[in-house]
Amino acid sequence: MSQAGMPAERRIATLLVIATLAALGLAGVYIAGGQPQAEGALLGIALGGIGFAIILWARGLSTEGTVTAERGPLGGEPEDEEVVEERIAEVKDEPGRRSVLKLFWAAGGALALAAVFPIRSLGPAPGRALLTTAWHPGARLVDQDGRLIRAETLQVGGTVTAFPEHAEHAADAQVVLIRVEDGALRPRPGRENWSPRGYVAYSKICPHVGCPVGLYQADRHELLCPCHQSTFDVLDGARPSFGPATRSLPQLPLAIDREGFLTAQSDFEEPVGPGFWNRD
Amino acid sequence: MLVLVAGALGVAVLTVEASAAPAQPRQAAPSGSDAADVAAGRQLYQLACTTCHGADGEGVEDRGPSLIGVGAASADFYLSTGRMPLDRPRAQAERKRVAYTPVQVRQLVAYVASLGPGPPIPRVDLAAGNLAEGNRLYANNCAPCHSSAGAGGALGRAVYAPPLNRATPVQVAEAIRIGPGAMPVFSEQTLDDEQLASVVRYVEYLRRPNDRGGLGLGHLGPIPEGFVAWVVGLGAMLMAVRWIGTKD
Amino acid sequence: MTRRLFRWVDERLGASHFGRKALEKIFPDHWSFMVGEIAMYAFVILVVTGVYLTFFFVPASEEVVYEGSYEALQGTKVSVAYASSLDISFEVRSGLVMRQMHHWAALVFLAALVVHMCRVFFTGAFRRPREINWIVGVTLFVLAMMNGFFGYSLVDDLLSGTGVRVGYSIALSVPVAGEWLAFLFFGGEFPNTEFITRFYILHVLILPAAIAGLLGAHLAILWRQKHTQFKGPGRTEDNIEGSRLWPSYAAKSIGLFFIVTAVLAALGGLAQINPVWLYGPYDPSQASAATAGSQPDWYVGWLDGALRIMPGWEIRAFGYTIANPFFPGALLPGITFGMLYIWPWLERRFTKDRDPHNLLDRPRDAPVRSGLGAATLSFYVILFIAGGNDVLASLFKVAPESITNLFRALVFVVPVVAFFVTRSVCRSLARDDVHPFGGAVGSRVRRTPTGGYEEVDGEGDKPVVGAVLATAEHNPYRPPPRD
Repeated sequence: MSQAGMPAERRIATLLVIATLAALGLAGVYIAGGQPQAEGALLGIALGGIGFAIILWARGLSTEGTVTAERGPLGGEPEDEEVVEERIAEVKDEPGRRSVLKLFWAAGGALALAAVFPIRSLGPAPGRALLTTAWHPGARLVDQDGRLIRAETLQVGGTVTAFPEHAEHAADAQVVLIRVEDGALRPRPGRENWSPRGYVAYSKICPHVGCPVGLYQADRHELLCPCHQSTFDVLDGARPSFGPATRSLPQLPLAIDREGFLTAQSDFEEPVGPGFWNRD
Repeated sequence: MLVLVAGALGVAVLTVEASAAPAQPRQAAPSGSDAADVAAGRQLYQLACTTCHGADGEGVEDRGPSLIGVGAASADFYLSTGRMPLDRPRAQAERKRVAYTPVQVRQLVAYVASLGPGPPIPRVDLAAGNLAEGNRLYANNCAPCHSSAGAGGALGRAVYAPPLNRATPVQVAEAIRIGPGAMPVFSEQTLDDEQLASVVRYVEYLRRPNDRGGLGLGHLGPIPEGFVAWVVGLGAMLMAVRWIGTKD
Repeated sequence: MTRRLFRWVDERLGASHFGRKALEKIFPDHWSFMVGEIAMYAFVILVVTGVYLTFFFVPASEEVVYEGSYEALQGTKVSVAYASSLDISFEVRSGLVMRQMHHWAALVFLAALVVHMCRVFFTGAFRRPREINWIVGVTLFVLAMMNGFFGYSLVDDLLSGTGVRVGYSIALSVPVAGEWLAFLFFGGEFPNTEFITRFYILHVLILPAAIAGLLGAHLAILWRQKHTQFKGPGRTEDNIEGSRLWPSYAAKSIGLFFIVTAVLAALGGLAQINPVWLYGPYDPSQASAATAGSQPDWYVGWLDGALRIMPGWEIRAFGYTIANPFFPGALLPGITFGMLYIWPWLERRFTKDRDPHNLLDRPRDAPVRSGLGAATLSFYVILFIAGGNDVLASLFKVAPESITNLFRALVFVVPVVAFFVTRSVCRSLARDDVHPFGGAVGSRVRRTPTGGYEEVDGEGDKPVVGAVLATAEHNPYRPPPRD
């Protein structure tokens, strides 16, 4: 109509033509086998063309500009409020109803309580699950593929993830086995015979929030957890030297059996992994 | 289509590997033409390396470790990636411009190898490796430090695991076997030669991974994704509403 | 023809009375009021693309050997859930675009929610009578975050599996009931094969239904109470100024829907997100792999950052432990959302303002509120950046320990600074419309000997003669509102 209207109409028309072509192209791409970038771009162009066209059209539409009106009160009519209050009170005020109401509450409450119990079926009781792992005295160490680990397997500075033999899918038993130089370790009291020939094994489950502590920095003898950067000193019983971890990694007592395989002397002496209420 | 791409990739990789390191001495002990290399290497060594590694490779305290017994693999790794020579002792030797020609590298490697028996430059037969097996081994052994996409990651104390996109197959194999710097050693008992080939093949794949979804955003994960969502995604939409709505 | 259709419907449903009220309803037009719509439309796209994905995704943990077309995983044992995600990405035509649109929409949904919440907060729109809608809104935000977490964990890849482990450990750390909470929610000790199906039902049914229901309530309340508006000439607490729903506002809104979808479609095809084939599967049987640079999606990033910068403190007494992750992982979010929920009443206690408000504050009109809002925002932004401490460390080649310590300091210093700076900027703007960094509106002039006027430099912070009359509402130097 107006002079200003013409270019706007042409713009809208152009946008819609582009959108139509893009949509047809999209269908074509799909038929031809599909290609993610083409699909996304064409879909975006088709939708965007229509969207911008609608907005431009809306601008041309509205000649009345902004409009003002009264809001009106939010609260209800006083008569309505009175009637509602009366109706509610009717139920409550009758004599003898009070005690019956109380029994209704009691029955309803007991039922609601009983209805909660099926939630218990969602999972097993924690029991001792968090306190023990699959490690037991004499269990041989295997790598993730089930291969036994011998005393010659690792060089100094080498590391491998290990599990108990026959339990290499017991995720809570995972340990990181490291070989350090003879004599470099500073064992905690009582752990002097836990690390034969420089082999030392710690639980791989970080005591912070349980990520596998997979980074071994060989030159500094430090284990680093990739999630939140807790750092553990391998030579000092995996004591945490930095980061949010609050406890050392539990150490697995090692031995080398007569055939030259690495074995565990026993399970860990403390629960592995993150802390919880009943840990101690 | 994907098989074609993978096949092409495999061929390309093998070609690269074949032409990558011209110097691949199998033995540490010099013999015949190798003796000439050793001599030339010794001359090069005297020029640039004695300050930190000693006159005969025995090492200098607080400056450089002994090179006796580190083998051709170590020397080739550090020299061919440009990590050595190093101007002064640093927390981490980083990849930089290679200071020597391939011939000079070969000669230096021969000399260092002659100092004492050590791991030779590993032979990598990529065709013997399995991509999926390499993926599995990489996820368990390498991803914690180098990230799932080979983009690298931080270790403690200003040391980092570098991104892997510039490493050649031989360099990858060398690093795995020698454990340079903070990296642990993966010997034949933990990763046999076939597994090594698989891992190397997977690392090569990571140089051009399947980015079917579009722009890779550096393969750094949710951080750049969040950034794009806010700046590009919401940003575009906020610009749109500013255009659609009024400003007062 | 439309007239006949409408009359047919009206004879059966009596819609014309409501129809008239609805079509003539007025909506204020300010652009910042449309941010909530962005979020809503992102949610619509989430539902649409999500439904499509449910036709292909299989929420089962059973192990299967992957035989699809992605060579680098062929022959690998993966969960059925992960395999179906790979199939969506590689085998299903248009599957990857749908999956990526879905994930991008989730990130944008939460971003829009944050901006929308900020708009509501900084303008005081949560004040009486809109406290209910504020409660509904905060709940929507919490549910959206949770749904996002469950959603990206469904794919069962290495990165999200690590995140599930973290969630399990936080549950464990809750005092007294932690072990039971974790075991009941996850179906036993983690890792196991139970949690995928549970996350699935939460993600596709329970949480979306709750979000949709609350969103409906949110809109119904807004409809009933009418939208707020900024102060301006001719606007009072008792009237409302804007465009009519039909045709003007509806057209703008529908146009916005198309634009939102267009942006998400473009991102979904052009920008790769969560390439799960590169992370590989999460192996619950060994759970011994992780990737450097493990971060959650951005809207959980503040939680991860809190876990990282929290020092290694733990409470151990009388044989019981309150483990370290409890404080940043459960207590901090509890306090965060608790404060958000009670804010309208907390503010009222201090301002003693019990009046209903339909006119909005500009942020400068409430310097303390704006200061506290800026401080809180900056607190969470710092936590969020701290969540990337290892990426920052390798980017800048410094030790992650240094970055962590830096953020431990920043998380206290920056919010305090933000509070005081924001409060002072607001006060200055409100008092005399002078921005302490931007200088005065207008300029000082003086009469020259020859009779003209010249500008005087250097004393721009003093309001000039004309501007002395300026207040927040009647500043002649501000451009008039557009008609």
